[in-house]
Amino acid sequence: MRGSVIVAVWLTSVLGPGLAGAQDADALRRELDQLRRQQEQYQKAIEALGERLKRLESQPAPAAVAPVPATTVTQTPAGPGPTTAPPSLTELARPRQPFSLYGERRQGQFLLDFGVVGDFVGNITQRNVEQATGGTFAGRENRFFPREIELMFFGQIDPYARAEVRIEAAEEFEDGARELHVGLAEANLTLLTLPGGTQAKLGLIRNRFGLLNERHREALPQTDQPNVLTQFLGEEGLRESGAEVSWVAPLPFYLEALAGVFNGDNDVAFGRGSLKAPLVTGRLRTFFELAEISAIQLGISGASGETPDKRRSTLAGLDLKYKLTPEGWRHALLTVAGEALYSDRRVEVFDDAGASEDRTRRRWGWYAYGEVQPWRRWLGGVRYDWTQYPVDPGREWAVEPYIAFLPSEFLRFRLAYKHTDRSHRFTGPDDRGSARVFDEVLFQATFFLGAHPSHPF
Amino acid sequence: MRRSVSMVLVAAVLAAAGLQPAADAAAKLRVIATIPDLKALTEAVGGDLVEVESLARGNQNPHDLEVRPSLMVKLRRADALVVNGLELDGWADAVLRGANNPAVIPGAAGFIDASRGVPVIDVPTSRVDRSMGDVHPYGNPHYTFDPGLAPIVTQTILEGLARLAPGQRATFERQRQAFVARLESALGRWQAALTPLREARLVVYHNNLGYLFNRFGLTQLGAIEDRPGIPPSPAHLARLVREMKEARTRVVIVLESWSDRKLAARLAEETGARTAIINAKLGTFSGPEAYISSMDANVTALAEAAR
Repeated sequence: MRGSVIVAVWLTSVLGPGLAGAQDADALRRELDQLRRQQEQYQKAIEALGERLKRLESQPAPAAVAPVPATTVTQTPAGPGPTTAPPSLTELARPRQPFSLYGERRQGQFLLDFGVVGDFVGNITQRNVEQATGGTFAGRENRFFPREIELMFFGQIDPYARAEVRIEAAEEFEDGARELHVGLAEANLTLLTLPGGTQAKLGLIRNRFGLLNERHREALPQTDQPNVLTQFLGEEGLRESGAEVSWVAPLPFYLEALAGVFNGDNDVAFGRGSLKAPLVTGRLRTFFELAEISAIQLGISGASGETPDKRRSTLAGLDLKYKLTPEGWRHALLTVAGEALYSDRRVEVFDDAGASEDRTRRRWGWYAYGEVQPWRRWLGGVRYDWTQYPVDPGREWAVEPYIAFLPSEFLRFRLAYKHTDRSHRFTGPDDRGSARVFDEVLFQATFFLGAHPSHPF
Repeated sequence: MRRSVSMVLVAAVLAAAGLQPAADAAAKLRVIATIPDLKALTEAVGGDLVEVESLARGNQNPHDLEVRPSLMVKLRRADALVVNGLELDGWADAVLRGANNPAVIPGAAGFIDASRGVPVIDVPTSRVDRSMGDVHPYGNPHYTFDPGLAPIVTQTILEGLARLAPGQRATFERQRQAFVARLESALGRWQAALTPLREARLVVYHNNLGYLFNRFGLTQLGAIEDRPGIPPSPAHLARLVREMKEARTRVVIVLESWSDRKLAARLAEETGARTAIINAKLGTFSGPEAYISSMDANVTALAEAAR
């Protein structure tokens, strides 16, 4: 009996796992068969889909029924592995409709571009300059402030025109009070399909007058705009409502001519603000490539209108810009540019007895700067300013060395030192302070969020 | 009298001879492509019926081209503009604005976006922003690196050219088919030449060679630029050097002519990697064979680095 029990225990312990193993093997075999059948089903499904795809692709492509189709981008999952078999050339070469007439808009895809620019500037200067409100940023001496927060919308209206709208908020200084102003910086449309190589721009425009007037302040090459522009056109520059027509000559070299008619709202140089005595502007711009790596642009500009007291005011400008961009560089190594403005203006002057007479004031000013960017993230330069005042007697000069750090294309920091020397005593409200000779440290932080239109040359 | 007649005849013959090329040129479509690869592909389709120029030169980074007025002069008299799209050549918009040529603006018959129909890779599947660098939200725009996609691109170009010259459609189609046949033959050659490189691990400067690597089964180890358009951080470079050293196989740094070669040379010296410069001859070829010649040069540069 005892022997039988021992034999039974031994048989159970030896044969038991073997039987269980046989059962597992059967189960695995069944699973494998099932997987094989599933694989065959998938294979058939893939082949059926492939056949269907071939049938669809072999259909002749319909004739192009619209000049330009809507965008449809066939997407594939990101980064197929290196072993993914690409479609054969013969398959790809088969005629097909390369696009559809209407592409479903994807998330985040809009019919216009928009972006935000934030431009913050600061300055530190002497106390007497602050009292006289005679610094570069008059009324905002020794402050760090938002100079321009700009919301931009731009894009194609239809096949014939594009539009650009810019709304800006900025800290301003008026009558001794600092306020945050929100306003329209630009709003215009450009007609693109006019005959004879012409385009027309209508609306509120930063005029293409000279080299830098067209640029918004965040896009200036230095923290502040050149003194001659501030003196002759005001801190806001020439920004007018009206229309401008440009023409690119069909020549082997670049020659652009433009003419415009505007209200004349600029209260520093013109200010009549009426189309009965409009501000008329004109510009010629040409460009030559000296070599593949260097190029020069030359321009002349003119503007003629009336002041609020109906006296003629005329401005003429000459500008030049040179860039040297070594082969393969993503940015210019050397930029040299300058601009001169000449003002011819009728003014009313009074003698000691109070009698008035009309006189002509012919004044001028200029600036030039050189900038070197040996590294992608760092650049440095220096600007020199010299200008007379358009109406009052006197003149001023300034020199401004600066450096900039660009962590990326969309972020920039600048630091500058500016020394200004005026020929006369400059006093502020209530005859406080004086800003004849003074020094400033200027600093700036600028960001570009979202889309930003590129600036030509 | 006889002398006068002779002189008139000679003058007429000379004038005719002088005018002939001008007449030929007038009959050709003037096409501007934004990048040299698209110029080459347009020439392959258009042949003698087109006169093509590229706005970007071969040695220029197509991401951020300086918009010179000389580019506007080229576009001023063009019949067609072929753009890469997918935000690679966004600067073309500024060129268009200054060229005053309504024939090539978006929406006109002469505007050809070559990216239409291309199966785009690296399309972000999650929200993107600029913390990731200068990302392309519509996906990798460097599809011209993949010769296998050239049939799609040339089909799009063909449709555009045929819109402007419908009478020449048959010729464009014939030229395209001939080009595709040559390309197919070259593709086999390139596959064979690059087979040894499949064992290697590749490091790129800018993350733009995905199409090329996918086509030839090559494996990318990393990129020198950790975020597109932003110079690499020291921490990223240190990590990349470690990965290159640990690769236990040949590592090849693939650069383009505009990449930071000094930095790449430093990495190569530190890790023992080899360097291949592609697109070094981009833009130096012209005519219907330009694209294949340019690819030949790239494949040769890559294959040599694998030896």
